[in-house]
Formats: sequence, structure tokens, C-alpha cells
Amino acid sequence: MATPVPVLRLPKGPDPNSRGFDPNSPRFIALCRTSISSSAASDTDSEQLQKEQDARSVLREGFLRCLLSMTNKKVQFQMYENVKVEATFGASDIDVLNFQVSDLHTPIGVQKEALIRCQDVISFTFDV
Amino acid sequence: MMQCGWPLMGPLRWLHYLNKEVKVRAGKGEEHRGWLLSVDPVSASVVLVSFGEAVAVRVVMGHAVEAVEVLRAADDDETAKRLRSVFLPPPSPCLDPKELRQRRDAVRRWLQENRIPVEEEGEELKVAGVLTIAAPYSAHDCRSSNQIILDRIQRLIGIQDCTNQGLPL
Repeated sequence: MATPVPVLRLPKGPDPNSRGFDPNSPRFIALCRTSISSSAASDTDSEQLQKEQDARSVLREGFLRCLLSMTNKKVQFQMYENVKVEATFGASDIDVLNFQVSDLHTPIGVQKEALIRCQDVISFTFDV
Repeated sequence: MMQCGWPLMGPLRWLHYLNKEVKVRAGKGEEHRGWLLSVDPVSASVVLVSFGEAVAVRVVMGHAVEAVEVLRAADDDETAKRLRSVFLPPPSPCLDPKELRQRRDAVRRWLQENRIPVEEEGEELKVAGVLTIAAPYSAHDCRSSNQIILDRIQRLIGIQDCTNQGLPL
């Protein structure tokens, strides 16, 4: 009989009272000046806010599926200063600030593992 | 870095660009055409798809978008359907009911051997009242809102699958 699965102790997750995009967290303030927050609740009525939230979910799901289908595929990144690099996509962080990639082909050699700053990227492309 | 209005438009306005063929101007004079599949509400990044020999996807980062121009809407259901299915996983092959039943029983017995409470609920298996396993009862078919239980059960089923296929654990 195979050994039973050991109990997992996951690291403490984000604050359960927020949805992970807490605009007051130190990380957000330090890094995410350019991240887009939802409209201020005072500006819009609750029905409008509900519609906006529905739109957000649909759009975010589409984007997350795109990231999912990119994993372990070769991706070409178009960066600023006319720099083009190719790498195998690993993962993105929640705010789309950094991409984790493997086998990054740079003009000075192949980097086995690397973090690409999304602020440096103009666009990237891959084949499904 | 010049910021055009694109990141500030918001989800409701971005929604209008869905399933339309657009031309995106970005960075230093780059121009990309494609069917707009989605816009990430966190980074305003635009996901474009073009259908050629292969299905090519280009994502333009929100901070780099200079302008987005709509060329045309998806004029037939065929294109819209194709766009919706670009990132969906391929449909799983259909097993006949007898094989499904055998597979379901095998998974149920394996979970019970590992002291996990499991019940049959119609065609599905209900684990500890919080996780559902639908046909064909692989690790991918587990659904739960509890991350920890989901991970444990997926690993357990994964072990059984590896053992059945004679693969190393």
C-alpha cells in the first residue's frame, strides 16, 4: 500500500478580508503604482459596481487562461530599446509585475532561470 | 513614459472591445493586429489572437499601449466560438458508461483505503462533503473551494494513476 499523503502546511495566505489586491499593503504601495484599482465606491451606484465586478471577473478569467496556456511554452518577449528575447514561460505573479521564465536566451548567453520585469516588456507572443 | 487613456478606461469599456478585430499601437511604433480575446483588469494588458498556420497569441502590456483601434466585429458565430475556445482545454475523450463505472469504483475504493470519507452522488463522487469528482475521475476533475483538501486528493489520485500506468511516483 502506498504511503498516505502527508499533511500540507501552506504558507499564510493573503489577508482573508481583502481579495488579494489590497491597495494599502506595503507591497502594493511599493510596486504597483501603475496597477489599476476599481472605481471608487462613492462614484458609482451599487448596480454599476456589480456590473463592473462581473466584467472584471470575465476579463480576468480570460487573461488567466491565457497565462495558463502559456506555461512551459516558448515565448518571445519584445522589450524596450529594441531588445528581443526568447524564454520558456513559467509563471506570473498576481499583479502581473514579474514573469518567471527558464532558458532565457540573451545576447550574452542562456540564463537557466530568470525573472523578467513586466515594466520592461512591450509585448510578448507565443503559439497555442 | 507617456500613458494614454487605455489603462484608465475600466472593465466596462474594455468589455466592448471583446471579440473584435483591433489594431494596437504600442511601445515605439509597434503595431499589432488581431482578435481581442481579453483585457487583464489588473494590468490592462491586451490579449490578441490571430489564426494562421498556427494560432498565434500576442499580449501587449497595458503600460505600453498607445492606442487601440477597432477594425471590425466578429461577424459570424463561427469566429466568436473559435475565439472562446482558444484557451479552453481540449474536450476529454468519452469513455463508455461501464468503463466510467469501473473507474469511479476504483477511485472510491482507493480513497476509502486511505481513510477519506467519500460518497457517490449520482455520477459524481463527493469527498468529505466539500470536494466533487466528476467523470472521468482524474486529478483534473476534482472541484473544491478548499485548497488544502483539493491538493491532497489530487495527489492521492495522482499516485493511483501513476501506479496504474507503472510510472515512477
